[in-house]
Amino acid sequence: MDIPAPLLAKIDEAITHYPASKRSASLPLLHLWQEHFGYVSDEGVAWIAKKLELQPINILELVTFYPMFRRQPAGATHIRICRTLSCALGGAYELRERVAKAAGIDLAAFLEGQKKTTEHGHPHNPGHGNPIAVSPDGKFSMEFVECLASCGSAPVAMVNDNFKEAIDLNKAAELLSVKKSDATTPKVLPPHPREKRVVFKNIDVAGYTPDVECYLKHGGYAELKKALAMKPEEVVDEVKKSGLRGRGGAGFPCGVKWGFIKRGGPKPTYLICNADESEPGTFKDRYIIHQDPHQLIEGMIISCFAVGANLAYIYIRGEFPEGAQILEKALAEARGRGFLGKNILGSGFDCEIYVHRGAGAYICGEETGLIESLEGKRAYPRIKPPYFPAVLGLYQCPTIVNNVETLCDVKHILALGGGAEYAKLGKPNNTGTRILCVSGDVVRPGYYEVEVGSLTMGELINEVCGGVKPGRKLKAVIPGGSSAKVLKAGERYKLKDREIGLEDIPMDFDTLAACGSMAGSGGVIVMDDSRDMVWALNNINEFYAHESCGQCTPCREGAQWMRKITDRIVAGGGTDKDPETLVKVADNIAGKTICAFGEACSWPVQSFVAKFREEFTARSVKPIPPPMPPEYNAAELEKNPTIEAVPAPRGNSEEIMAEAATR
Amino acid sequence: MSTATATPVQMVNVQIDGVWMQFPKGTRVIEACKQAAKLVPHYCYHPKLSSPGNCRMCLIEMGTPKMTPDRKPVIGADGKPEIGWIPRPQISCAQDVSEGMGVRTNSPMVQECRKGVMEFLLINHPLDCPICDQAGECKLQEFSVEHGNANSRFLERKVKKPKSVELGPRVTLDAERCILCTRCIRFMQEVAHDDVLGIVDRGSFNSIACHPDRKLDHNYSLNTVDICPVGALTSTDFRFKMRVWFLKEAATIDTNCGTGSNITVGSREGKIYRITPRENDAVNGPWMPDSHRLNFKYVADERRIAAPIVRPQLSEFAPNWQQTINLAAERLKKNAGRVAILASARATNEELFLVSRLAKAVGAVVVDVLPRTREPDGMLIASDRNPNTTGAKLLGVATGKLADIAAGIRDGRITALIALGEDATKAGLTADDLAKLDAIVAMDILPNATTAAAHVVLPASAPFEKRGSMINLKGRLQRLNKAVPAPGDAHDDWEILRDLILAVSGSNGLHSIEDVFKAMSAEVQEFAGNTLSRIGDLGLDIAAQPQNTP
Repeated sequence: MDIPAPLLAKIDEAITHYPASKRSASLPLLHLWQEHFGYVSDEGVAWIAKKLELQPINILELVTFYPMFRRQPAGATHIRICRTLSCALGGAYELRERVAKAAGIDLAAFLEGQKKTTEHGHPHNPGHGNPIAVSPDGKFSMEFVECLASCGSAPVAMVNDNFKEAIDLNKAAELLSVKKSDATTPKVLPPHPREKRVVFKNIDVAGYTPDVECYLKHGGYAELKKALAMKPEEVVDEVKKSGLRGRGGAGFPCGVKWGFIKRGGPKPTYLICNADESEPGTFKDRYIIHQDPHQLIEGMIISCFAVGANLAYIYIRGEFPEGAQILEKALAEARGRGFLGKNILGSGFDCEIYVHRGAGAYICGEETGLIESLEGKRAYPRIKPPYFPAVLGLYQCPTIVNNVETLCDVKHILALGGGAEYAKLGKPNNTGTRILCVSGDVVRPGYYEVEVGSLTMGELINEVCGGVKPGRKLKAVIPGGSSAKVLKAGERYKLKDREIGLEDIPMDFDTLAACGSMAGSGGVIVMDDSRDMVWALNNINEFYAHESCGQCTPCREGAQWMRKITDRIVAGGGTDKDPETLVKVADNIAGKTICAFGEACSWPVQSFVAKFREEFTARSVKPIPPPMPPEYNAAELEKNPTIEAVPAPRGNSEEIMAEAATR
Repeated sequence: MSTATATPVQMVNVQIDGVWMQFPKGTRVIEACKQAAKLVPHYCYHPKLSSPGNCRMCLIEMGTPKMTPDRKPVIGADGKPEIGWIPRPQISCAQDVSEGMGVRTNSPMVQECRKGVMEFLLINHPLDCPICDQAGECKLQEFSVEHGNANSRFLERKVKKPKSVELGPRVTLDAERCILCTRCIRFMQEVAHDDVLGIVDRGSFNSIACHPDRKLDHNYSLNTVDICPVGALTSTDFRFKMRVWFLKEAATIDTNCGTGSNITVGSREGKIYRITPRENDAVNGPWMPDSHRLNFKYVADERRIAAPIVRPQLSEFAPNWQQTINLAAERLKKNAGRVAILASARATNEELFLVSRLAKAVGAVVVDVLPRTREPDGMLIASDRNPNTTGAKLLGVATGKLADIAAGIRDGRITALIALGEDATKAGLTADDLAKLDAIVAMDILPNATTAAAHVVLPASAPFEKRGSMINLKGRLQRLNKAVPAPGDAHDDWEILRDLILAVSGSNGLHSIEDVFKAMSAEVQEFAGNTLSRIGDLGLDIAAQPQNTP
């Protein structure tokens, strides 16, 4: 195998980023290989395995797990169209058809083939059921991918590495010729009066650039200096006092998490920034990374100092190639200025940060899945106990995993004058600001940074986002990323002290939880009365069926089962048992899996079917005949003019045997 | 070896299904439940491998002691600590017991979980039990009876996956039957240290696979078939040969090397179909090498010696047993004092004990066994490929004087040879040497150069066809059991030796193999106080036996 020298140099450089384990360089090497050769051949798998002193199966496992890697060549221009809920609401399916037509791809034939692959057989082992449709001339190829994290400007697509948002369906053909200079990122609207911009303070501010000079001009790295003058424990205390809760989805208090790290142990401590933003409906990290990367880096260095980590990784989702480059550049700048590296600013504290790119797997957002992925393995979440990251994390060492927004907030806690000051923002136990990402059927989708709980759902939708589209009525809201339970317009929620409607819910962690849903990752997906809830749930089910890592039984089997049921209902094949079966299957997943994906895939099903039951039952009408009753034998048929059907036994074997014994 | 000086194991109190019990600290919850006779169904958990917790079959209810605000346990009305039950089910395979822990293995929540997991495991399973080799010993079948549903509510198309995949030369995969418990992957990583298996694809499409360039060809690959709880991995050799419920199982030991791995021989109507390892932590754990378990085909070889042979031939009919023995005895008596015995360290203790008696009876000048040494594999294959060298040394049959046989024949001191299950041409003798001898008495199961030259050939039994004991290289006395009958007129080896001794010397008194063991234990101190039945299925460490000192 002939590897060109520049590629080899990049490969060797990438390996140095992982002093504890070469295996961690698996994903970086696969990316480099695919960038150079266009796809990962079996030869490539073997070469990388050899380079990293691994078995070829170790690499094959990854190529077939992470959807961004291909085992076949793509077209010269490869188009990834997002199909997840917000983009589907924005016309992604129509977009795919138009792009296919423009590219000369026979979409119908391709889909028929894909159906065979996913349902009738899996003969070619294409990996993760995401085959690529290539045009006959080989110039273009396309695939439907899951959430590209720009839900507020749906529909979106990536043309090679170039991101294109708010695509006009009438100009779908233009996607075929998108160049790097055409790439766009959505603009933030000027701050709404109800907003309080802290993390997003510099986003889309005229004249603000992502380079370090600009950052320093705006007072950058001052908090780092402040922190280095403190004791690490004092920094942890400030974060504890701030009441900052994790912005990734679970809302766990950040300071408490940091407090789990035992100092002075024999093993190194690692910090990981979770920039694998992938919960559908959430789209905030891209802007922080693209436009103000140094606030994240500063927040990370402070956090490393606080928890005693000398090596940190930014796990950035693979769909952010440009973001990864921007971060690399920013890290180099920080190194150049002595904010990173040995003896930072003369404090004696050493810290290094590397960027690690994911490759399209939602499950990498789960912190232990992320750690496995960073170790160069399939992103299988770990069982807890015993693998709590603070004790047995990356390389079985104490590890802190925090969301991008959370780590930025660490910097702002110090900038605001400490934890007590930060805690004045928001509400008790729901402190600080929160970036709410609104997508779907509103006039002004986008993201809005507000003090936690400072506005209600109704204010967010109607006032800040301009309400639902003209002539439409609000039907449903998913308040915290697609895994959060859906809320229905007109519902009433009983709280401890009062009863409120959907529009009165303050957007904070605790009230949303009390209303039976969650603040989650802050992704608010709004649907109006034109939307079909069975279709919407099917879209969500398809996402989770595709993203299930398949490690543990209930989620591996159940997520796909639920998708198949809603798929069938949408196609007109609903049976009268389907709504009940859907809920039972979801009940059998939630709480029984290794990680929270079990809940993530079952909560939508449970809530959609419960709250929009009539839409499901209306389309689930075909009766299932009961199994043949035992009396239906030849002798009885001849003897009796009519035979009464007995209700079919529908219990477990014990019940059936007990019942049989009584006959 | 004394346990008196070992540190006492700390015991913890655990409540299992309402009953408080004590378990040593470090016991897995699932093992504690097993000890409490509350078997928790499981697939991925294997006591010798790491716990991934992926099958979710062992979900139970778990609780920890309720604590007062000052971290003291709350004591209930019964004087026992009150348990705060965790609202979510927990897996029992990945946690150790802890003080005051509560476990419910059969609550409604637990039953719901098991039913749910069983349903999930079967929705995409092909349900091809009638043609599945695992049927009859399949955990999916077993737990379906207890926790499954009688009918399915799954109306969808099943996921299709690769079938009849040759993972390696000896293991075949049916990925549709696989429940992805990863036992096979973990075995190859953690025990065989040959990381060739993995999972390809994702989610519902996950399948066990190896890289096309790197097959599952390790000499321990068939252990993955043993630990596969379902019909996904099957032995290419055994596949479609026999329904497992027809197999008669015999607990015996492997005789391919000095390790003496414990095995189960499965046979039907006198034919061996498969050999599987039998767990014995003092010897082989639950594992064994492929090369050993597949080494049974020779037993059914059509060249097996099934009737006595006498040369020159007496008549056109085969001689009867007693005639043959008498002829052999006559020839040996004629050469008394000039006899060499080539014995085998593949023989049992009982046989070797009788060899030493025979040596006395015929006045043997040399007795030795044929050594077999090859590279060990660092796992379960010892460099000594004889299973009973320890016994042969203990009984004085392994003397290290093998070279004297050839030398004795050449200088005329030896004129007769008794070859007991060994080919003398492998022990330094040439065809010329054999031709010089006045008497060659051979006992064997398959023809070789010695049986071809022998004046008398006595058909013997293969290790699967006889009883007896052997001592492995670590000094463990183990029992060989009869799995299948020997063909034709072949006799148990000890009987052949007994008959020869009787015909040569006229003295005997041994009517059963138990008698032989009794006589041996009276004469050889290491066997004192034991009987064949006392050895049991797992053997005895005779080095650790208290010595009968006067």
